[in-house]
Amino acid sequence: MTMGTTLFQLLISFLLIAIGAYGGGLVAVPLIEHELVGHRGWLSFDQMAELVAIAQMTPGPIAVNAATFVGYRQAALAGAAVATAAVVLPSVCVLGALSGVLERLKNNARFLRVQQGLRAGVLSLLLYAAWSYGRAVVVGWTEMVLAVLAFALLVAMDRKVHPVAVILGGGLAGLILF
Amino acid sequence: MNRPAEDVSPAALAPIRVSRAVLFWAFVRVAALTLGGGFAMAAVMRHELVHKRRWLSEDEFFSALSTATAVPGPVAVNLAFLEGRRLGGRAGAATTVLAMVLPSFLAILLIVAFVLPYLNHPQVGAFFKGCAIAVAGQIAFAACAFARRLRRTWQSGLICAAGLAVVVAGWHPVWAILLAAGLGCLICRPSPPLASDGGGREVEAEVEEIE
Repeated sequence: MTMGTTLFQLLISFLLIAIGAYGGGLVAVPLIEHELVGHRGWLSFDQMAELVAIAQMTPGPIAVNAATFVGYRQAALAGAAVATAAVVLPSVCVLGALSGVLERLKNNARFLRVQQGLRAGVLSLLLYAAWSYGRAVVVGWTEMVLAVLAFALLVAMDRKVHPVAVILGGGLAGLILF
Repeated sequence: MNRPAEDVSPAALAPIRVSRAVLFWAFVRVAALTLGGGFAMAAVMRHELVHKRRWLSEDEFFSALSTATAVPGPVAVNLAFLEGRRLGGRAGAATTVLAMVLPSFLAILLIVAFVLPYLNHPQVGAFFKGCAIAVAGQIAFAACAFARRLRRTWQSGLICAAGLAVVVAGWHPVWAILLAAGLGCLICRPSPPLASDGGGREVEAEVEEIE
């Protein structure tokens, strides 16, 4: 396969993943797996598990992590750059096109009702993300206690403690406990 | 650049403009320090942009989070675009999106090139397992903070429950968003969100009823 073909396939695949990577968190994982493992055969199941593990250790959304990772493996730096750009492209296009429209609709009554509804819908996705993420990592009582402690600390010390400090605290607790 | 909490003069209600270099640094920090995707990042961003730097009100932030979730694309990238656009126009949006992606891009390259052999080290694993568990708590916290900003009406409750039912049943989240938008149009009251953000910024948009 020529370099050009590979880059084009990376572009298409990660455009699709970006558009479908909806709702945040681990919701995107099955879609990424379907595209990269099932459709393209770029990753084995083991490599996919490795990717999810790496994504949890690296900053940034999993779709971006996956793009750089797979792009680099398929076509070195050019692949990483193309795949990562493909993940960002739909956001930039859609929001760029929408921002003028949103500004004009700001005071439209029907749009405000839709927005009220959207907010409630977004809360359901947030709750689901917390649930699905929690289910993936909380596998016993120790994990449960740690997760609840992190949550309680963040709520009780809201605005006072930096969330990143709580995550690092979780990591240190992990070093001691696991 | 920072705005005192009690400042409610008209000038304070206009969007703050932030230079590109400052925007870049703020978003690179958030992106580089946050494990997990958009929702986990939302908690860190809220802390940095709303409480520490006071560039945005709590309401503006959650309205951006809501839009970022409702449109296609990774939530973190959408959120960066919306906030960058608000704080620095088109150039600001380009800056923040780049700042959001760059740390993740470089981290993966570093890991693939150098760190991959050490990933199976038990202590590395234990540390990141602990982090991942705390991230679950962080996402729950983001949900909690978001819920506090939501108006407590039966409409919100119903839509949230319907959305949950859709995703728990295994449907794609886009259906939850479309259902929420549709139901919102049908049953929600048209007044804009008004809750005060504690920072004293209260903006009441004038509603023109267009039927």
